[in-house]
This record gives sequence, structure tokens and C-alpha cells, in this order.
Amino acid sequence: IPRPFSKSPLCPPGPGGLVVPQAGLKKYPQPPDYSGIVFPEKTKLKFMDKVPSVPKVRREPRRLWDIRGPSREATDFIQGQYGILALGGGYLHWGHFEMIRLTIGRNMDPKTMFAVWRVPAPSKPLTRKSLGHRMGGGKGPIDSYVTAVKCGRLVVEVGGRCEFGEVEPFLTQVAKKLPFPAAAVSREGLEQMRREEEEKRLNNQNPWTFERVVTGNMLGMRRYLSPYDLRLKGRYWGKFFLKHRV
Amino acid sequence: SPLSPGWLPALQLVRRGSKAVTRHWKAMHFQRQKLMAVTEYLPPRPAVPPSCLPRAEETRQEDDGYARVLRRQVEEAFRENRMIAVCQYNSMPGEDVVMMKHYLRKHNIEVKFFLNEIVRPVLSQSKYKNLLPLFVGRNVLLVSRETKAKEMLRVLKGVPQINLLGACIDDTILSRKGVENFARLPPLEAAQGQTAGALALLPSQTSSLLQRGSVYLTALLDRHIQQLQAAETGSPAEPSPPQTSSE
Repeated sequence: IPRPFSKSPLCPPGPGGLVVPQAGLKKYPQPPDYSGIVFPEKTKLKFMDKVPSVPKVRREPRRLWDIRGPSREATDFIQGQYGILALGGGYLHWGHFEMIRLTIGRNMDPKTMFAVWRVPAPSKPLTRKSLGHRMGGGKGPIDSYVTAVKCGRLVVEVGGRCEFGEVEPFLTQVAKKLPFPAAAVSREGLEQMRREEEEKRLNNQNPWTFERVVTGNMLGMRRYLSPYDLRLKGRYWGKFFLKHRV
Repeated sequence: SPLSPGWLPALQLVRRGSKAVTRHWKAMHFQRQKLMAVTEYLPPRPAVPPSCLPRAEETRQEDDGYARVLRRQVEEAFRENRMIAVCQYNSMPGEDVVMMKHYLRKHNIEVKFFLNEIVRPVLSQSKYKNLLPLFVGRNVLLVSRETKAKEMLRVLKGVPQINLLGACIDDTILSRKGVENFARLPPLEAAQGQTAGALALLPSQTSSLLQRGSVYLTALLDRHIQQLQAAETGSPAEPSPPQTSSE
């Protein structure tokens, strides 16, 4: 009967999948090397304002394209080793910022770890009409400010003398509460993700890819697709990121 | 002006439905759904699934210094000692272990614990390959420079938790019965004496063999003389004295 919890390097399954865990020689691995890490001046996350210091007077159009598609900025690590990667688009408002700041601040040790924002403070004004009124009467007043986050962007970075295992629990706790799907990643994890994506793209056995159909306008498919699909190549739909697609 | 027939009223299309980016999952046009279904990812399927192929040996982790030290100790133990006994080790209370070690130490037998995962590769590359089946499960090595099998067996008889599996005495693999027979053998000096005696038996007979002819002749002549004397006691004169030949 194969036992369920087998970790490959310690007890690889034998013939028939049977795993017999045995105690072996204790290995003394080298402790991790934290020599190249530079701590910023303030290790805790900065407080983000609800409203920018110069609040906007002119009400702005919605511009939902700032959520759509892959992110161009803050896609790679700068200071820290671990972070939260956004796997979808969305808006972060002050409540989210406070939640992130307080959760990370509560769980990290400011002496050995540091955290850094990778998103700017809310600056995009959102209007809201007062409740219970009919359509019409002009655009509503500015209700709150938000930051737009596109897919593939890092939200916060955490680093210092710590391992991924220490940091992952509270980063996933934060990631679950964000308005878009997100995941806790490390530098190696992100590289691994990108490598796997690239491998998938290369060893895809399907000769028909979305990109090929769109660029060649095969069967007149561009009638049913958006011009943005040339860029998004079927991996993004609105603010959602389709992970399983190549 | 009337609308030209080839002009698609784009506004109509835009007014219908929601914007491009929505909070909910926007329903896709059916043609787009079909396109998404056609252009899905197909993973590669090799003709022979990788689970049917022999597993590629994973890259060995770097050699641990501690493992190297232990391996050296194992090699030393096998090189230095004449008697190496492998016993099954069931858990014993601590004081019993100490007592057993004490009794064995009196006979100059050391108790050594080695990990199987270290001993097995060392043995498989040395001349003790046939001892490999013994090193499975919890075991202990009793090593000694002299071969005092009888004392060892006596001590082990008093300890039920340790069972002798096999031994390698003077580069000879012995089973449990073999060790018992070996213990029953006479000590080395007595055996040497016996061998020397057996070998010296034939040369000791050489002198008597060589003398046999002349001794026989002497005996015959003595007998003859006696017979003559017996015949001459009937007649008083003695014609000739007995001749004794020199040896």
C-alpha cells in the first residue's frame, strides 16, 4: 500500500511505489549566506495616505485599461528576496494598504527583515454617486483613491535574514485577502515560473496557437476578437489572467 | 446622408453588453470560445511514458565530511581486527548495554555501531562483498584483535537481545554454527602441538626403521646362540664363543 506523504529526496519510492522511511545519517547543511543583503533605513512598510497630498479636483474618466493585460513595471525583484506577485488585475484602496501594512508589520521581525512597497500610493480618483438616486445628474463626486495593479506586478517585497518558509505563511495570508488573485513568491520561484512558461510555450504540441491565428487573421477570427488580443495573445481576458493557457 | 451598405455600425456593437474590463467574467463570443478550445496547450506525450523507463540516478549530494570520517572508521575496523562478528541488535536498556560492553572489553572485544548506509558502500567496494546481506536492519559489530569466540559466545548467551548473525574471522566467513564450532576447537598452542607431534611422528620412526634390519639380525643370532647353548648344555665342551656384531 503506497504511503501518501513521501518526500522524494529523503525516501524515494521503491518498486511499486512503496515508501519505507528510514532514519539515516544526520546531514549538517551549511547555514544560508546573508552577506549581500542591504537593509533600507526603515524596515517596516511606510504608511500610505488615503488621499494624495494634492487631491484632484478634476474628475477623471474610468480608464479601465490600467487593469488590463500584463504589467510593464515592478515585475522583477529590487531589494528583497520574497514578495507578493499579482496574478490578475485590480484596484488597491487604502483598506487593502492598511491590511497589508499591519499584517506584514505584525508578522515580521523589524530587526532581521525588511519590507518595501512596490506599488505607489493611491492616486487614481474613483467617483461614486450617492445611493438611491436615479441615473443622470452628472458624474458623482470623488469618493476614494485607488492604485491600479496589472497582472505580473509585485505588490510588496520582503527581505532580510530570513527564509522563504518563514515568510511564506503571512505573505499567502495577505495574498488571499487581495482583490485579485495573488501568490507569495521568492526570486527562485519567480524564475522557475517564467522558465516553466517558456518551456510550455516551446514544447506545445498543438500547431494552432492563438497568436498564430490572430496575427494571420485565420478564418476571419479578428472579427470576434479585439485588436488588443494581438498583444494579449489569449492569455488575458479583461482583468483576468488565464494561467493554463500558453 | 444615407448609410453606405458596407459600413458596420460600430456604435451598436459597443452599446451592446459591458465594457472590455469587467468585474465579472465576461461571456465570450462563441467563435472566440471555439478558438480558445482549439488553441489549448497540448503537453508532449513521448512514445514510452517516463514512468516506464528506468529512473535516472539523481545527482549525488556532495560528500559529507562526517560521512567520510565514518567510512574511514569502518575501513579501519575491518583492516585492524581479526575477528568481526555481526549481531542483530534489539533495543536494550542502557545499563545492560554498558554491562555487556564491560564484559566484552575484558576479553578485548569492542562493540561498534555503524550506520548501514555508510557500511554498505564501503563493503561493496572491498573484498567483504559477501557480508553485505548481513547489514540490513539494526545491527552491531563486535570486533577484536584476538579470536576469542568462546568468551564472546558466553557473554552473548547472557544477553538475549543480541543475536549473532555471522562473523568474519581471519578473512573467513562463518555462520552462527561455524562460530560455535570454531569456539569448540582447541586453543592454538594445543593445535600447534598436535600438528607438530603428528608431523614429527614419521621422522621419529626413521631411526628405528633403519635399525630394524640389524636389530632383527641381532635377535636372530641371540636366539641361535641360545639354541646352541641349549644344545651344548647336553655336551659340556663349548667350541666357539658367541659372536656379537657391532651395530
